[in-house]
Formats: sequence, C-alpha cells, structure tokens
Amino acid sequence: MKDLIEYIVKSLVDKPDEVNINEVLGETVTVVEISVADEDVGKVIGKEGRIANALRTIAKAAGAKDKIRVSVEILTKEDNHG
Amino acid sequence: MDKITFKGGSLDEAIDGAAKVLGISKDEMGHRVLDEGKSAMLGIIGGKETEIEAWKKVPLDEEARDMMQEMLNKMHLLAVAEAKIGEQGEVLVEVKGEDLGQIIGKDGATLTSLQIVISTALSRRHACRVRVYVDAGGYKEKQAQAIERIANSAAKDVESTGEEKFLPPMSPAERRIVHMALRDNPNVTTHSEGEGKERRLVISPKK
Repeated sequence: MKDLIEYIVKSLVDKPDEVNINEVLGETVTVVEISVADEDVGKVIGKEGRIANALRTIAKAAGAKDKIRVSVEILTKEDNHG
Repeated sequence: MDKITFKGGSLDEAIDGAAKVLGISKDEMGHRVLDEGKSAMLGIIGGKETEIEAWKKVPLDEEARDMMQEMLNKMHLLAVAEAKIGEQGEVLVEVKGEDLGQIIGKDGATLTSLQIVISTALSRRHACRVRVYVDAGGYKEKQAQAIERIANSAAKDVESTGEEKFLPPMSPAERRIVHMALRDNPNVTTHSEGEGKERRLVISPKK
C-alpha cells in the first residue's frame, strides 16, 4: 500500500524528495499518512479535495483484495508541529 | 523517467549542455528551470548560473501506459495497460485482464480516480492540460453509449413537445458526452444548470 501511494504522490508533486509516507498497520484498518513539502500540499489535496479523494478511492480498491480497510490522511503543517 | 540537472551561464547554454549530456536533440528533451540564475554585473561579478532539470521526452501515450501499469502492479491486480493517442490529442488508456471489477470500482469510481491522477501527473509534468481517458473492459465505452441513447431520446422528446427537458445530475465527463452527442442536432441546444453534484444538463428547443 505504501509503495502505491508513494508512487502516485511523487508523480504529483514538485518536490518528490520531500515525500514521506508512513503506513500504520492496525487490526482492522491501515492508516496511510502522507506528508509533502508545504508548497505541494495543495497539489495532493486538489481543488475541492479531488486528488485526495482519488487517492482514497485507489487505496480502497488496492486494499479490497486483501480485505484491508485503508484510511488516507494528508498531514499539514499544523499536524507536523502541533 | 531519468532526470539530470545541469548548469549553464544562460538558459540556452544550460539546455544545449543538458541535451549533449543526454545524447539527444533539444526537441527530444523536456526541461524545467530550477534556478533562473543572475547575469553577472559588468559581465564579471555576482553572476549565478542557470540550473535546469532535463529529461528525455517520452511520448504521452507511453508515459500514461507506464504509469497505469505501475499502479496496477502496485495494487497487485492482474491486468495489462495499453494506451494510444485519440483523434483530438487525448490519451486513451485501456486496461485488460482479470480483476477488472476492482479496477472499475463502484459506478466506475476507481477508473475515474486512476484517470484523475494520471491526467494530473502528466499535465504537471508537461505544463499543459493533458486529457486522459481510462477504461477497463469497455466499461466506460458502454456507459458513454448508454448516455448517448438517453441524450438522443430526450432530444426527440424536446423536438416533438417543443419544451425543454432536464436530464438527471451527471458528472462533468458525462455532461460532456451529452453536449457532444447533440452538438450537431439542428433542432436543440444544450446547457447546464446547478452547482456541483446537482449540476444538470438542460436540452432546449432551438428557436
């Protein structure tokens, strides 16, 4: 899952080197946390959350085969420092 | 896509130099300016070189196909992606194989999402809008044909009654299909009303 999200996010941002994906495996749900350079946050979220929603839908489809529920979270500056 | 960074006294010099390093002509190369540099004062002091990132251009269809295949592989789905350039320069990606249900998703939601990320990635990389259509096992094609049938039969109603008709709420892509289907119909015009998910297409008689 991490691989997939990392690949997509890196193809969307200007600073792929600053992309960090953290996968937290829970019992019933896998949480994928995405952090990117400040100026790239908008690119990963998209207009009206279009890109973020697309990422969630793709993650859901990828998890379905293994019956894993996936939650995709995009970390913003406040999350990192707060 | 393998990228190199290259510095030169001016943008032209940086482009020429990068093309030489990659061993390709300038036309075959894409580039992005990383640092615009500064021209030196009096031609001697304080100058800073222009830095660019450069890569060998890959045809859009190959780039879209490779990205799709990479995603399918990482999703552990058994499927193969193919791509070609359509009549209006759009990129048509078709997925074949097993696991198609999962690739399509509920009401085609996964297909649409894959389409969004591919077109966004390609548009960003090429700094222009790249239109991408993703289909699997002819799903979207069949859906488009069904929408065209609805559009044509609604247009017939409008022609015979002379009254405008609202179609159910549709996505931008679906509304586009209706606009295109009725574009050459001399008796009706089409426009959309409403916002967001409630946006609907209206077919009116041409006066």
